[in-house]
Amino acid sequence: MQLQLKINGERKQWTIAPGDLLLDVLRREGYFGVKRGCETGECGACTVLVNGKPINSCLMFAAQTEGCDVLTIEGVEQDGKLDPLQEAFLEHGAVQCGYCTPGMILSAKALLAEYPDPTEAQVREALAGNFCRCTGYLKPVEAVLAAARVYRENGRKTKNENRKSQNNHRFSIFQFRSRH
Amino acid sequence: MSTKHSIVGKNLQKVDGFKLVTGRPAFTEDIHIPGLLYGKILPSPHAHARIKRIDTRKAKALPGVHAVLTYKDVPRVPHTTAGQSWPEPSPYDTYLLDSKLRFVGDRVAAVAAESRAIAEEALRLIEVDYEVLPAILEIEQALVEGAPVIHDEPDSKGIHDAQHNLAGYILKEIGDVEEGFRESDLAIEREFRTQRQQHCPLEPHITISWLDSDDRLVIRTSTQVPYHTRRQVAMILQIPVQRVHVVKPRIGGGFGGKQEMLLEDICGALALASRRPVKIEYTREEEFYMARSRHPQILNIKIGVKRDGTLMANKMTVLATTGAYGSHANTVQGNTGSKVLPIYRTANMRFECHVVYTNTPVAGAFRGYGCPQGYFAQESVMDEIAYTLGMDPVELRKKNMIRLGDIDELSAQLGEGRKGLPRHIRSCGLPECLERGAAAIDWVNKRQEYSVASISDRRSGGQRPPLQAPNSHLRRGVGVACSMQGSGIAGVDWAAALLKLNEDGSFNLQVGAADLGTGADTVLAQIAAETLGVTLDKMIVCSGDTDFTPFDVGAYASSTTIISGGAVKKAAEKVRDHLLRLASKMLDVPVDNLVCRDNQVVTKCECEKSVSMEDLAHYAMYKEKVQVMENASHWNTDSPPPFCAQFAEVEVDTETGHIRVIHLVTAVDLGVAINPMQAEGQSEGASAQGLGYELTEELVLDGSGRAINASFLDYKMLGAKDMPKLTTILVETDEPLGPYGAKSISEIPINAPAPAVANAVFQAIGVRFRKLPIRPEDVLRALREKELSSPQRR
Amino acid sequence: MFDHIECYYRPTTLREALLLLRKVGKRGRIVAGATDLVLQADRSTRFLIDITHLGLDYVRGSSRGCVIGATTTMGALEHSLAVRTLAGGILAKAASTCGSIQNRNMATVGGNVANASPAADTAAVLLLLDAKVVLASSRSKRKIALADFYSVPHQTVLKGSLLVEIAIPALPRGGRLGWSFQKLGRTETDISLVNAAAGMQADARGRIKWVRLALGAVGPTPLRARNAEALLVGNILSEDLLMRAGDAVMKEVSPISDSRASAEYRREMSGVLAKRALRECAAQAGVPVGSGA
Repeated sequence: MQLQLKINGERKQWTIAPGDLLLDVLRREGYFGVKRGCETGECGACTVLVNGKPINSCLMFAAQTEGCDVLTIEGVEQDGKLDPLQEAFLEHGAVQCGYCTPGMILSAKALLAEYPDPTEAQVREALAGNFCRCTGYLKPVEAVLAAARVYRENGRKTKNENRKSQNNHRFSIFQFRSRH
Repeated sequence: MSTKHSIVGKNLQKVDGFKLVTGRPAFTEDIHIPGLLYGKILPSPHAHARIKRIDTRKAKALPGVHAVLTYKDVPRVPHTTAGQSWPEPSPYDTYLLDSKLRFVGDRVAAVAAESRAIAEEALRLIEVDYEVLPAILEIEQALVEGAPVIHDEPDSKGIHDAQHNLAGYILKEIGDVEEGFRESDLAIEREFRTQRQQHCPLEPHITISWLDSDDRLVIRTSTQVPYHTRRQVAMILQIPVQRVHVVKPRIGGGFGGKQEMLLEDICGALALASRRPVKIEYTREEEFYMARSRHPQILNIKIGVKRDGTLMANKMTVLATTGAYGSHANTVQGNTGSKVLPIYRTANMRFECHVVYTNTPVAGAFRGYGCPQGYFAQESVMDEIAYTLGMDPVELRKKNMIRLGDIDELSAQLGEGRKGLPRHIRSCGLPECLERGAAAIDWVNKRQEYSVASISDRRSGGQRPPLQAPNSHLRRGVGVACSMQGSGIAGVDWAAALLKLNEDGSFNLQVGAADLGTGADTVLAQIAAETLGVTLDKMIVCSGDTDFTPFDVGAYASSTTIISGGAVKKAAEKVRDHLLRLASKMLDVPVDNLVCRDNQVVTKCECEKSVSMEDLAHYAMYKEKVQVMENASHWNTDSPPPFCAQFAEVEVDTETGHIRVIHLVTAVDLGVAINPMQAEGQSEGASAQGLGYELTEELVLDGSGRAINASFLDYKMLGAKDMPKLTTILVETDEPLGPYGAKSISEIPINAPAPAVANAVFQAIGVRFRKLPIRPEDVLRALREKELSSPQRR
Repeated sequence: MFDHIECYYRPTTLREALLLLRKVGKRGRIVAGATDLVLQADRSTRFLIDITHLGLDYVRGSSRGCVIGATTTMGALEHSLAVRTLAGGILAKAASTCGSIQNRNMATVGGNVANASPAADTAAVLLLLDAKVVLASSRSKRKIALADFYSVPHQTVLKGSLLVEIAIPALPRGGRLGWSFQKLGRTETDISLVNAAAGMQADARGRIKWVRLALGAVGPTPLRARNAEALLVGNILSEDLLMRAGDAVMKEVSPISDSRASAEYRREMSGVLAKRALRECAAQAGVPVGSGA
């Protein structure tokens, strides 16, 4: 069957089998930054943003993304320039083996789009679905908080334009509520 | 931290960081290969069985299947899968494919097909009749007279006593422990049990293999040991070493699980049989029970002390299982003795260990390598001794700990499967680790405030310390534990490095070392850059390729910084000397008036002549017509230990039994931190694994030897919301045997979170736990038993 | 995994969906969040029917209660104002404990209920709130109590029909009201070992006017602890009464042992969580827990 969607801002039309999982399709199409870690929706290595929301692409049928905006790690840098999150992960030593890094950065990106000034608890909640066996999570959390400061200083809106997909009501726009 | 160098000691960004944060293709699977086949292994459903009949005709006939292999189709070459220097000190008891199966998950057959679905279908079409044999699942069963023999094959080698399922046996002693106990005023003897912990690297094991245009077998694989793998694959497939090319891309974590030749042999065999590229990638489930895990142990430890706390004797007796095959059987357990007992000085030490086979998933190398088990036992008993004597546990450590200048004789007894070398302590920051760690957790005050009080004390209205609130079901405590490790294997680990100048003043650094996410490429580049007087961006690192990088034993035993780094420093010094000679000629200045600094060569004196590295490179290449390129090899005759003191503050919920770790302080003497930020990251990750070892992680087997929690849903690691506050203190000493004074840090912080937490739990609720993991229901059960046996009852 | 799927359907009307369901029978599976479906991969599945384009993603609160469309995600529940103001927010809280954000962005409340996993975090809360499930077939729409939905093998109940809505009736109003949701897991994102939900209202004299107590993950289905409730009603809450209620709960549950926890532990924790839930309700209701019997 045909699948039409937007990946990292670009319109794509792919031929897929009806039962194809999104993770497999993305990697087949060359988006190697989307990682295979458990295939059971636990580790978050396969995290991508669909209409601005982090989801585990290992548990999603590719067909479910018809008409959606998908953001992978490959779409995070802009015009060859690293996103502040990517810079912060490098600056704060939050990258060791790097396997969980794309998923973490995407989860963090979704968080900061809604909560430009998150608490540490909110950051940990956002990363709770991204397992890391290398870092103990401390430096990634510090990196996200640092990136949040940069975003605020730059005064940049970090809303992911993929959220504003018009013809898809399935993913209702939601707001993170502040827990504290 | 260190200010005397310009590159070493600086928190520079990882040289491979860019590709990791952008998701560029970098890992083994990040590649499209035309004609790639999907390989899959048929796992044994039985813990112990023989193949009576195996029929692969239907599988072979399935369209899309290109190879089906059984034990009948491959050479039978006994070997070990352990990634160790030749001759490996592990039994040669493993076969590419065998007619006997020794654990649930053992290889029955393997297929290569055009898709994952076809491969799985092919496995289902393989017909197997098994003769199911009685299985040994519990450690203690293995040595019982009349127990089934797991390795009854005649051609295996190096098994200590196959008829009694004894993969290995170790007995080493110095002095006379019984005499020591006789002279002791107090001796405490306890038994401890530790569990099967799995590495859970986020990237499971994966290998891709193909024949290149020269008909050489290329193996692109997630490995810590490219060179050992090359040698072993060649031996197993019976092809020359020169026909094998192993390439290690970026690795998504290993932690010792990839210090193993695990999939490369079978993947290579499928590639040879099908003459197509083949990929074998473990699912997460397979990773749990068909890869490796930590050796479970039963440890009996007896420590004798004088009334003033002086250690008189230390005796440890271990019964361990290596699972169905003896990978790392002798060496992990040897470490439980050699790296644990000697941290406390006494003339009398004895270490005895039986390592048995059981029909269970295979154990192997895992960060800490025998030390987490040993330190759990030893640090718990030391704590108990301190409390019994009424001594501060920190003071008891200080009184007995190994010191600068000491010689550890036990290590001489326990080398890696061969006679070791005595260990000289040439740098020791343990006193400072204890000082600074204690201050960071506020040890003295907290210890005073959280004193041991049982629930019945609370109900009886006894004196309660202020921070244990009345009527609260929450109890707090603090605990300490110390550890040491090693840095490389003395007389065995070695590495080489090659350094080549490019015409723009950049350098290619070729090292066989395996960066598995540890930051090794970066650390080695920093050492080279520091030595050459250039900035880090001038280094181009290529690592872990058996065709293009020189030999390195690989990433294990905390060896990369000290051994590979030693080779890098030597090679860089040779290059630097050559550059100085060239500059001397170019500038007409004596060599001893020149120094490399800031990407140039400058005069030391005030005449201020200089040449940029780029100009010097042009001169070398186009005027002198010489390639500036040097290599060096390096090994050490000693293994300088890093030292660590870990402090834990916990809160126990006495209604649910849940142990919440509030704060974990890790103070570690790593020699000199080449990259402090990366070093901290290594420590924090190791601590997290140590906490999981303590609280939640265990691969559980059912009554037929099958893993029942082989998924992240059921096997629990700590996540971002579960971690306590982590404080990491890097204590710097100056190790003469290490490049720029460095030792190591990658393993040691995993060794002692478990006893630190267990000791804190004792202060909180007055119960000692001697079995890992400590689950909430274990805490509750122990609290009930304590209440029942308490003399004060309502 | 799903290599033999012949067709992926995206019906846009309920009628179309129901016709498809009837046509494909056992060889078809419903796709909403797909978080359970993918894990339960069944090689005999030939058709996938995506029901997320039927407009079943809504939360509507009114004076008559709250209706939630079946394909509303856990994430949407967690953040919906209507759900957060319902019953002290315990449904939102329960939804917020379902795995990670990634899971909650996909998992739907309908899927959670239809798959009837006893550990489903929202199930105990929905049971507590007397929720009804609305099942649509080509002929009719039926509303049945969640308890009944759980008590009958759901293949029978669901045959030929689709779970389209969960309806929560209007809840008691007034003062001295409290609600609580408690969950126990090995780690913060763990599936429930035990969960407990409670609601309580006291009268002017501090006596318990009504109380509801539901437990999840400690039986084949979530259950109401009726015996414990009966013990509490009409009485003033005291430590002793709480203890007896906890003991009653422990007798009413039938947990299993698995690699996560033993049955004995789950049983004991059902009592602990029930008491914690009741304490929290009492605190919200402004009712002190007396020390007497």
